[in-house]
Amino acid sequence: MFDFQKLDKIIHEKWRLAIMALLASRRVWSFQELKAELKMSDGNLITHMRTLHKQGLVSVTKEFRGRPQTTYALTAKGRSAFREHINALEEIVKEWKS
Amino acid sequence: MNNERSKAEEDLRVIRSLMERATVYRAISAPAALVAGLLSIFAAGAIYRRPVHGRVFADVWLIVLALAVVTNAFFIWREARTDGRPFISSGMKLALRAIAPNLLIPAAVTVWFFTTGYKGAAEQELVVTWIAFYGLALLSTGLFAPRSLVYLGCAFLLSALAIPAIRNVIGDLPANLPNVAMGVTFGLYHLIYAVCAWPRERAEIEQFAVE
Repeated sequence: MFDFQKLDKIIHEKWRLAIMALLASRRVWSFQELKAELKMSDGNLITHMRTLHKQGLVSVTKEFRGRPQTTYALTAKGRSAFREHINALEEIVKEWKS
Repeated sequence: MNNERSKAEEDLRVIRSLMERATVYRAISAPAALVAGLLSIFAAGAIYRRPVHGRVFADVWLIVLALAVVTNAFFIWREARTDGRPFISSGMKLALRAIAPNLLIPAAVTVWFFTTGYKGAAEQELVVTWIAFYGLALLSTGLFAPRSLVYLGCAFLLSALAIPAIRNVIGDLPANLPNVAMGVTFGLYHLIYAVCAWPRERAEIEQFAVE
């Protein structure tokens, strides 16, 4: 029987999972790119990014390139947590199939 | 347990879809392909009715190329602006880096054609080079391009290989074969691509958003 405690409660939320998936696909994402890709509101995205940042899963870089730009990337902890989460999801699917 | 299994499957599907989308870059937008296709068919039709050769032939097709490039840049810029992304995105940089080496030989052959090649009526060689290397340029984006663009690249490459073979097998082909080849490849193939790759609704993301 699968131990559901293995699922990371922070990542398991659907928007944060989507954010983690995008961050795992490419090294750096700007706030605008994430917002456009997920069609999220500023407030919603900021809230989720803060949660992920507080947990040490995401790093935040603020730069000035003609205008202020915030970029995000997965930390080593975030990448490992995301991989473990995917493994856990696959385990659930496999267990049901067997 | 069933619910958890369904949720896990759905999560994995969404993760896969998002990660694939994030790494795919379409170097030719479907509306731009439509415009390029129509322009090419129009140019081929005009040359078919009033044949031109040598430098004028190359001039006409270079004008078509310039218009197609500007159109493509416009549609990519418009899409980027609508989505709030930068025009020169990481995907575009990756695509340009992959495509650029494939443009060196056709550029050199075009220069050669304008200097001496046109005297020997080398239009077929010029056209075959353009078609072959355009196909190779598209195929070089295969690692991050959607499948339709790869099929388009294959079609161009196979056509470039077929043209000299057709010329050898059927000796008395009309003199305007290079023009017909340009019309079929850059015209018809782009139209087919545009129809197949017309921007689809972002159904999966939107479905995900409203859940």
